[in-house]
Formats: sequence, C-alpha cells, structure tokens
Amino acid sequence: MTAAFRGAVAALVVVAARPAPAGEEIDFARDVAPILETRCVRCHDPANRKGELSLATADDLVSLGYVVPGDARGSHLLDVVRPSDDGPPTMPKESAPLSEEEVAILTAWVEAGAVWPAGVVIKERAATDKSFWSLRPLVDPEPPAPEGLPEAWAANLIDRFVFAKLREAGLEPNPSADRRTLVRRATYDLTGLPPTPEEVEAFVADPSPDAYERLIDRLLDSPRYGERWGRHWLDVARFGESNGYERNVLIDGLWPYRDYVIRSFNEDKPFDRFVLEQLAGDVLGPGDPSVEVGTSFLVCGPYDDVGNQDAAAAAVIRANAIDDMIRATSEAFLGLTVGCARCHDHKFDPITQADYYRFYAAFAGVRHGAREIATPEQRGERDAALAPLVARRGALETRRSEFVAAIAARAEAHAAEREAGWTRPPADRGGVEERFEATGAKFVRLVVTGTDRSPATPSNFRVDEFEVYSAGPDPRNVALASAGGRATGASRRADDFQEAYAAALAIDGRPSTRWHAHGPTLTVEFAAPATIDRVVFSADRERLRPSEPFAAEYRIEVSADGERWTPVADSSDRKPLGDAHRRHRLFEAEITPGERSRVAEFDAELAEVGRLIAAVPTFPSWWVGTFSLPEDRDVHVFLGGDPQRPGDPVAPSSPTVLSEVTTGYQLDADAPEPDRRLALARWIVRDDNPLTPRVLANRLWRYHFGAGLVATPSDFGDMGGRPSHPALLDWLAARLRTDGWRLKPLHRRIMLSQTYRQSSAWRPGAAADDSDDRLLWRFPPRRLAAEEVRDTILTVSGKLDLRAGGPGFRLYRYLQDNVSTYVPLDEHGPETYRRAVYHQNARAASVDLLAEFDCPDNAFAVPNRSSTTTPLQALTLLNHSFTLDMSGHLADRLEREAGAEPAAQVDRAFALCFGRRPDDAERGAAVTLVVDHGLPAFCRAMLNSTELLHID
Amino acid sequence: MSRHESAAPPEPGLSRRSLLGHAGAGLAGIGLADLLARTGTAGEPAGGSKSGPGSGAGATHHVAQAKRVLQIFCPGGASHMDLWEHKPALDAHDGEPLPGEPLVSFQGRNGPLMRSPWPFRPAGESGKMISSMLPAMARHVDDIAFVHSMTSESNTHGPGCVFMNTGHTFEGFPSAGSWVGYALGSANENLPTYVAIPDLRGEPPNGKANWSNGFLPAEHQAVVLSAQQPIRNLARPGAIAPATERATREYLEFLNGRHAEERPGDSELRARIASYRLAARMQLSAPEVADLSRETRETHALYGTDDGNRLKAAYARNCLLSRRLLERGVRYVSLYCASRASGVDGLLNWDAHKTLKSDYERHMPVFDGPTAALLSDLKRRGLLEDTLVLWTTEFGRMPTRQEGVAGRDHNPDGFTCWMAGAGVKGGVSHGATDEFGRRAAVDPVTVWDFYATVLHLLGFDHTRLTWYNNGLDRRLTNVHGTLIRDVLA
Repeated sequence: MTAAFRGAVAALVVVAARPAPAGEEIDFARDVAPILETRCVRCHDPANRKGELSLATADDLVSLGYVVPGDARGSHLLDVVRPSDDGPPTMPKESAPLSEEEVAILTAWVEAGAVWPAGVVIKERAATDKSFWSLRPLVDPEPPAPEGLPEAWAANLIDRFVFAKLREAGLEPNPSADRRTLVRRATYDLTGLPPTPEEVEAFVADPSPDAYERLIDRLLDSPRYGERWGRHWLDVARFGESNGYERNVLIDGLWPYRDYVIRSFNEDKPFDRFVLEQLAGDVLGPGDPSVEVGTSFLVCGPYDDVGNQDAAAAAVIRANAIDDMIRATSEAFLGLTVGCARCHDHKFDPITQADYYRFYAAFAGVRHGAREIATPEQRGERDAALAPLVARRGALETRRSEFVAAIAARAEAHAAEREAGWTRPPADRGGVEERFEATGAKFVRLVVTGTDRSPATPSNFRVDEFEVYSAGPDPRNVALASAGGRATGASRRADDFQEAYAAALAIDGRPSTRWHAHGPTLTVEFAAPATIDRVVFSADRERLRPSEPFAAEYRIEVSADGERWTPVADSSDRKPLGDAHRRHRLFEAEITPGERSRVAEFDAELAEVGRLIAAVPTFPSWWVGTFSLPEDRDVHVFLGGDPQRPGDPVAPSSPTVLSEVTTGYQLDADAPEPDRRLALARWIVRDDNPLTPRVLANRLWRYHFGAGLVATPSDFGDMGGRPSHPALLDWLAARLRTDGWRLKPLHRRIMLSQTYRQSSAWRPGAAADDSDDRLLWRFPPRRLAAEEVRDTILTVSGKLDLRAGGPGFRLYRYLQDNVSTYVPLDEHGPETYRRAVYHQNARAASVDLLAEFDCPDNAFAVPNRSSTTTPLQALTLLNHSFTLDMSGHLADRLEREAGAEPAAQVDRAFALCFGRRPDDAERGAAVTLVVDHGLPAFCRAMLNSTELLHID
Repeated sequence: MSRHESAAPPEPGLSRRSLLGHAGAGLAGIGLADLLARTGTAGEPAGGSKSGPGSGAGATHHVAQAKRVLQIFCPGGASHMDLWEHKPALDAHDGEPLPGEPLVSFQGRNGPLMRSPWPFRPAGESGKMISSMLPAMARHVDDIAFVHSMTSESNTHGPGCVFMNTGHTFEGFPSAGSWVGYALGSANENLPTYVAIPDLRGEPPNGKANWSNGFLPAEHQAVVLSAQQPIRNLARPGAIAPATERATREYLEFLNGRHAEERPGDSELRARIASYRLAARMQLSAPEVADLSRETRETHALYGTDDGNRLKAAYARNCLLSRRLLERGVRYVSLYCASRASGVDGLLNWDAHKTLKSDYERHMPVFDGPTAALLSDLKRRGLLEDTLVLWTTEFGRMPTRQEGVAGRDHNPDGFTCWMAGAGVKGGVSHGATDEFGRRAAVDPVTVWDFYATVLHLLGFDHTRLTWYNNGLDRRLTNVHGTLIRDVLA
C-alpha cells in the first residue's frame, strides 16, 4: 500500500468513528446502506468475499483502499460501478448496473467523507424470515362451515375447505363422476395399473352404499400400491442406479433400496421412522439389512468417481458429493432449497451460508459405496464356519508351494546348461525382429505364451505393428492391410466402436494405433502366398508409452492353409526379460509330466476348497454408503463455495432461523459421525418442526390431484408457490401427526372426499375464472406417467409379470470400456415384462418409451414430472417392436377370451383398454379394420389411443 | 392441463418467458393453434416465424442476427496451443520448467514445457497464426472470431463437457440446444428442432447428458441422428403393409378425435392428435434430409465423404448432414468430432495425455477438411449469414508434457473456442492465454459469457430466458454471463 493510501485509510477510520456532521444530506443508514445491502453484499460479504472484498463493514474498504474519503475521482469503488467508455460497469456482476441515482448517492457519500457509522454491519436480507408462511407453527385449523355447503360436501372435512374457497371465488364444484370413471381413476391412482374389466363391472354393479369405500380399502391393501407410491418417492429421492458423470457405471446394489421403499409404503411405515432410517438406518438397526438399507437414500445420487489427481479439483468433487446429499435431504423432507446457500446466504429464504455448512457437517463422513451389512454375532458365526476351510486351504497351499519349490530348486541346479542357450537379447516393447529361412506361406501367426507383466499369462498385451517381409532383394511388408493383409485376434471389447482395439490396427502401417490383445494369437493372412524370411513386431515402436504391456515369450508360425502350422522362430533362445521370466523358463524345462499332473491335482483340490468357501452364505453387500469422518474433522464455511477458501468453522447443528421456530440441536464440532445424521434426522421429524408434515401432506395431495396445494413440492420457500388452501394444508399436515405419521389414513381421507370424486368435466365458465383448476372445481384429468404407460400396455396385453423385487431388468445394452455407454434395446424380451418400477434406471441412459413419456433421469430430485406431448412419443408408440409384440399378444388374448367373432373381440378390447363398451360407430369401424387388416392392426391402434393413456 | 406440467409458482416475479413457458409447454399449448392451422403444409422454409414463445423468432427479446446454430464439439479437450493459439514461447523454452510451482493436474505430475510438434503459419488477410496441421481451416480464419481466453469450471471430461453444453458441471440441466429450442421453437415442424450428431466412434464423455433437455419438457430433447444411425423408431415396421398402416392410423385418429371432442377445453388431447400427424410428416421428411445421395458429386468431393480414411469419411458425411438439417430449418445442430474416453488416452478423442503427436496426426486430418468444407458450403449457399457456427471443446491442455511421456494433461484455466457466421465479426482474436498457454491472461471468458453472446446473437437477453426449477429461475448462464462484445460484427 502506498503512503497516500495509508493516509486515506487513516482518514476514513477517523471519520467512521465520529458521528455524521450536522446538515449532511447523505445519511448512511437511509441512503447508502440499502444500496450495499441489495446490490453488493450478496457476493462481497464475509462468507463469500468475492475479490477478497467484504462490504459488510468498512474494514476492507479501508484496508484495500477502495475508498478515498472526500475524493470521488480517486475512489476505486466508484470506478467499478460506473459505466466505462467501452462497456457497462464491471460491478455488480450478477445483476443490472446501479442506477444513476444510486451512483450519485455513493459519490456524494464519498465526497462527504465516506462516513460509516461505527458498528454498522451490512447484511443482505433474505426476502423472508421466520414469519414466512411455511415456517410458522403448524396449527390444526377448524374446518370452515361455508354457506351453501351441499349436504354431500359436509361430511368429509376436506370438502369444507375446498368448497369454502370455491364459494369465495363464486364457483361451484362438479357433480360426482360416474362409477366407471371412479374405479379407473382410483385404481390408477393407488396402483398405477388399470382395473380389470371384471373389477370395473363389479364396482359398477355393487349396490351397497360403502362400495366406494371398500374399493379404496382394497386398493390401499394391494401390494401394487407400494410399487406406485414408492416410485413417487424414488423421484423425490433422485434415485438413479448409475453414478452419472463421465464413467456413469451401473450400480447393482441399489435395488434393495427400491424394494425397501416399496415395502415401506406397503407396510404404511410411519413416515418419521422412514425419515430416520433413510438418514441413519445404520444407527437405528445395526446389522439389520431391512433397516440399514435406508441410508441408500444418501448415496443414490450422482457422484464423480473419475479419480482426479489435482487436489483442488478433488476437493470440489468431494464437496459436490456432499452437496448432492444436502440438496436431496433438505428438499425431500423439508421443502427447503438449502443448496442455494452453498456460495452465499440464501437470497430468498432465511438460510445462511453457515447453515449450509451445518448440514455439510452432518454428512461430512458419508461416502458412496457398498457395504456388507451384518451384526457382530453374524460375522462371528460366519468366521467360525469359514475357519476350518481357510485352514485347509492354507495347508494345501503350503504343500503345493513346497512341492513346487523342490522342482524349482532342481531347475536352479540345471540352470547353467540351459542359460547357455539363451544368447539373443530379451524381447523389447520397442520391437523384436525374427529372421528365419525363407519359406512360402499364406498365413503367419504370433502365438504369445507370456508378457512382460506375467511370464505365464498369454493375454493383455499390445501390438502396434506386426510386419512380415518377403524374402529377396527388395523386401516388402506383405502383412500390411494396404497390401491386402487381414488380421484376426481376440481384442479388448468396445461394443460401441468395434475398431477401437482391433487386430487390424496391428497391420495398418501406423504405430500410433495398436491391437489390444485379449487372447494369445494374432493371425495374419496375406493377399496371396508369399516367400517370407523375416517378422518384426512391437508394442511401442515410437517409445512413447513406457508402460505398454508387450509379448515377452512367443513363437512365430507359418501356414499355407491356415490349418497346419509350422514354427519358424521363437523367443526360447532370447535372454529372459527378468528374474520371474527366468525362473518360469527354468521351471517349465525341469518339470516332469508326473509332476505336472500332481500340481494339477493340488490346483483341483484348492479349487474345491475355494468352492466350499464361496458356498458359505455371505451377507448382503448393498449400496448403502460408508460412514467415517475424515481425519480433519473441522468443517468450515467455504467462502464463495470454494473449498480452497475456508472461512469460519461450523459445527453440526440445525439452521439458525429454523432453530427459532423449532427446538434446534447443536452438537460439538467433533461429534461422532453417526450422531450427526441422527440428530439431523430427529430434528426433521420433531413434533414442532412445521415443515416436514406440511411438505409430506402436500406431496400426497400433489400425486392425487396432479398439482400440490403448494405447486412446488420441494420448495416451500419464497421462490416456491404459496398454498392455494393454506388452512387445508395445515389440517392435512395435522392429520399426519394425529394418524401417527401413517399415509394410508390420509390417502383414505382424500380419496373419500367429494373433491376427489368430482367429475373431470370442463366448464367454460369455471375455466374462465380458474383456468388451471387451482380451486378444484373439477377433478383434473391427467395423462399416464411413463411407467403407467408401459405397465398398462403389458397389462391389457395379458403379459404383465408381477414378480416383485430383486435386481432390475434393463431396456438397454450396457457397454463398458473405461466409461459406460447405454444402447437402447430394439427388442424387449419377456424378462422385461415386469413393472417399470423394476427397471434398472441408469442415469443419462434414455430409454425409448420411458424417456419419451417423461420418466426423469434423476440427476436431481423431481418433485413434479413433466407431461409432454411430442411426435417422438407417437413414433415410439407406433413403431417400436414392443408395441408390435404387445399388439400381437393382445390380439391372441382377444381371440382366446372373446372367440373368433370380430365384434366380440372389439368389445373385449374396449373393456380391457377403456373399461367400457364401444358404441356402434366405434365397433363398426373397428370390425372393418379387423376384417380388412387383421386383429393386431386394431390392437396397435388401441395401444396408441388417447383414451388408454388418459384418466378422467 | 398446465397443472401437470413442470410446476409454476403462480406468484409474480417470474419473467415473462418463464411464465409463458409454464403456461403451455410446446405442443401441449401454445404451438397448437399454429400446428393445426398448418396441418397439411409441408416443409416450412427455414426461419419461418410464428408468434408466441417457443414458436418462432418473432418472440425474441431483440432483433436476432442468427436464426440457427451449428455447434461443432471436439470432445477430449482439444489443445488450444496445438490448433488455434500460437505460443512461440513454447518453442523458445521447450524442455524448460514452467515458471511457478511444480504442477500437479488431473493425471498427476507435469514435466517441462513442450513445444507444439507442428509449426504455425499465418493465414488469411488477418494473418492469423494457425497450426500447419489445419491447412483447410486456415482458409477460413477471416470468418472466425477466436476466443483464446476461455475458462472452465471442471478439469474432468464428463463434467467439463456437460458444463460446456449446459452451463453447469452437474448433470440435469438443459443443454444449449434445448434452451434454444425452447426459446425459438421450430422452424420446420416436419423435422426435429434440435439434432445431436454423435461421432462414428461413439458418444462424447457423459454421453446423452450432453444433449439432455434437463428439466425442460421432453419436447426440447435432442433427436439423435447421424449419417451412420437413423432416428430411432422413425420407420414404419417392415411387417406392416402401407395400407394397414393407413387404416390403423385412420381408426386411431377417429378414436382420438371422438375422445377429444367429448372433452372440450383439454387442448393436450388435440395436441396428441396433432403429434401423430406431425410424426407422420417427420417420417417423410427425416429420411429425405438424411439421404446424402441427393447431393452432387462435387459436394461429396468437397466434404470428402468417400475418403479412404474411414473416420474422416464418416465425419464428412455428418458435416454434410448438418448442412442439410440447417438448411431445412433445424434450429440447433450439435455435431461431434470424436467421442469418449477409451482404454487408451487420446485414442477415440482429443485427450492426448501421452502421445500428442501421433494422436493428433490421426484426429486433425479427420477434423480439418470436412469442417472447412462445411463452412465453405454454408457460405456459398448464403446460410452463414444467419447461421451461427460455434466450435467448442470442454477445456484445453497444459503447455507442459506429463511427466515421462510426450502428451499434455487437462487444462481448464485457458483454452480456445470460436464463433463464425451470423452477427460474428470475422478475423478477430479475443483474449489470450499467458505466454505459455497455461492460463487465460487477457480478457478471461467464461462458458457463461460465451453463451450470453450466443443467446444475444439469437435475439435473447440471457438473463431473461429462464425456467423455474427446484427453487430458482434457472438460466443457461446460471447467474453469470457478460457479452463478448469484441466478437460482434
């Protein structure tokens, strides 16, 4: 800092310490502070310090010399907020430039001496505070008794809330839907499947007054309920079965979590327990797989496993992994977008950046990965069962190695005579040359028996060029592809680009590409028989890849017909590459046939013991995460979200503002790992936490009605929606509490309401007042979700396989070559006829029908799915072989169940697909189609029809 | 039926576009009237405009220079100092240590500075220095605005590619092509709005996430199409006779029509009928656009579609396909030259960790001629006037060799991308890395700045093109982005 700057700093400090001069027009608190507050401190605050500058206090302005009191021209602060000649002002970076008036105020303030009253700290104020609607204590409101309440709407209390709002808006609800509509609506809603024609007819014909109630109860008891509602939770949990990012490797140990979610819904597990298990199942039920599996919730998000050697980048990757857990947890359970406070205080909600890192502290010891789940007792039992087998294996191994050592010792005694024959230099990755007597050949092959890595393993080596030269004065490489040569040999697989490692690369004349051998033999066929006398081959001709594995032990053979082979050269007279190679050669020369078969007996016995060991039951090893704090347990705020800029230390605790409206918790900075997650989980489900039950009640409502009372189910903050029916939301949330956090009673309340039972008929008048039906003057119709579309097609075709649970099926081919490629299948076999919830949902692996109908990729949680209509949907549903297969199966079924008469077939199809009879026009046209073009053509139309895919 | 679409908080404070975006997603709402009115008209000319968001250039924030975008992507981290940005200091200091602390980057420790294996030569009237390995591209430097001071947020291919394509290192965000499709809508209903063309060698790092629609509705997804791979499920199955197809679809339309008639007010039901008609027209148009045999022999020769180098010929065909798509009104074409990380660094893409020279002597000839031909062809047909061409990669490479080998490690701190065509000033070079190419030193540019400029040229203020998702009005440029004014014509 220059002397002049130091002077200015001193002046500012002095000025700041004394009160504002009388008559001064600029008032810091009134005029200047709001500008700093709204335009500057979001980035330039103590927790972020963009450009290492905080504008929360005068300190940095002073120490960095941004302001020269009394000198506007000399104050850098003003330079950056004023437009320059060739562009807009450099600050603020993330919003519109300051207005002329704002700049004028700052200028006048500086001119007037830049007075910053002592002790004033500027903080960006979140748009909301603890008085925000979603943070207020949960009350159990009295249902209203609106005027004009129809008698049918009086009994179910939900209806009173809804009717009151309709009444306020001058709207009337729709009458009840007919029974056919109701049974279809309710069945899809609770099971994701269509009702059978028999179920439809039974319900339509049921005269008893509680027919509908019994229908709902039957559906809630169905195991299909968990498959439907569990899938909703998997959306919220951003459940995906590959790790995403570059490698995107499939994860096979996540299906137990999917099954656990389904089971939890079917059992109607109290939701508070469900929360606790998902955050801390390992603490609640150690060794119990059915409880420990819950923590998959924390680790079923995407994470980067590529292995970055750059320490700063690796720190960001770790922070990203924890960020995913923070977002998933705070959004799923609390409806709070805590993730927005990673780099700075939340702009809209009362969540500070320090709060973000309080969550971070809770997950600081969570890592992605599989873990064996067992109690200490179970481990003890297993160890006891293994002990005799392990002992037997050890004894066998000892005997084998003694036997082998004796041979090796003999070999060593004969070493000198054998070594005398090793005269040539050892094989070399840069190239070896073999000359032999000129011979005619159409084929040459390289047979490898050992590599530089392993003298006895004839695979996993490279050949960048393999050349075969013609004999005579003008030798030419007759193996070259350009000379008509053809090379074959097993190579590393790359199913999306077969040529990547192919044998052909060994004869392409370019040492920059190479064959990756996955077998011992490279065979080259020439365009025509040739007389040859020399072979040259290498793994690293350019000597640029010093670790390229290469053939160390080999022989060269020639053939005229590719059947009978004659050896012409080998590596046996070369010096061995190293000691292991030397010993291997001597051993192989020494061992007798009798000894060889004894070694084989040893190996067979060892294999048998190995089988017995493998047969001892293992414990589930599932993708539930591992838990251990890093050596350095301190968690700091990362200034600006950058792990390289640690700020104040934080301890695991509840967020500040929320600790004022709930009973918060505060752990020590070095609290044990499990305590952190358990404390957070317990706080989430505490009786006085108003968010958790509100968020849950709203999610339920959202899936029943297609939109939540709050339209943004994972965002109950300022940027999210406001409740359309605040009192109803609280009433529903209070019911969750009184129902012991069980969901089924709440489903029942909702579905028994008249609100839910309304017809979906559209009325222009009501639509004019409330076009998106927020007040629920009708039941909102919907398109089926992706899984329902596929499950429905399978169901009506009679092919749905209801086997539940276990590893998922795949609608893609999984290719792995360093990274993963997912190729959608053109044919879907019967193994894929299970419910779509059992599909192994890899990330970034879009699969025809599921992707087209908006099944999310789950890179993030998806609280609201889209419901789009695209021509690609039409193409997939029309042309994918799945539709054609199902059209055929549906046709078979119609013939089987309705006989040969087209009209009867058509009637049966309408019953299966739409739950109703066709009218004469529909039947007539259908019969014509069947007669002229066959039953499958008609079935294909039915499987594409809107009525199949839409629910009233 | 907007309530079933991505949720819209009804409160004020959302920008106009995002509100409209919520109110009706594509076919489900806004485009419908136009679509129905146009049923039967085939092959709208490129750049035809309609009204409303997501439905044509009429809805831009300001007058657009560009109507469509071609983005050429060289995945793997194409080396700026071996292609586009001349670093004489590397020649002078070859073999000397890079001044500063010992460098550990993505794959580990770095050795000394390494010169480019090939000389640079001046090109064009601008005299731009460009690698002698790119003789064909050298003829286009006067049309190109180079940005030599790009920076990335990730040093890893997957997140780096996703960042370059979506403005976010995390997956799940919409790609630039999806944003542009959302912004501009279709200019030719018979073809997809956004097409991704993967390389013969496979998908780029992170695969389909590069052309994901993220949280935008599925209608904004890219359709994958290449000269080697037709659109999935496009063709009528061979087992179904044309007459059967016709009768089936007639009955389907009859059923769907009655269903929709009985439910007035639900526009989605009519949109569904329209989508089937649109699919039928796409079945006619897409094979036509992919049929390269309709091009002249001269054009094929220009691109090199029959080149003896299989990889070059395949890329050349994809270049030619790109032109045909753009010409017919596809809004955004993402064309890939190379693919993913394989078992050998630099084998299938530009990731030359160990053997830069031999790797790039394979990749550069594949890229150079066909790309230059595509630019020439766009220019002679007048398409370059309203087509914005982008050349991108996820990051650059280190000026040093990796310890013990002759290749370069990842470098997110400085690299080159470029723009050409509509509204772009040719023959300029914006920004620079330091003398060795290690870091952006002059006028650093972020990916967000790059896309702020792209959206500007398309007629959009990048801060106002938004979509609400999980707590925020999301943007292609996140909360960043400053126009790169130097590159604007």
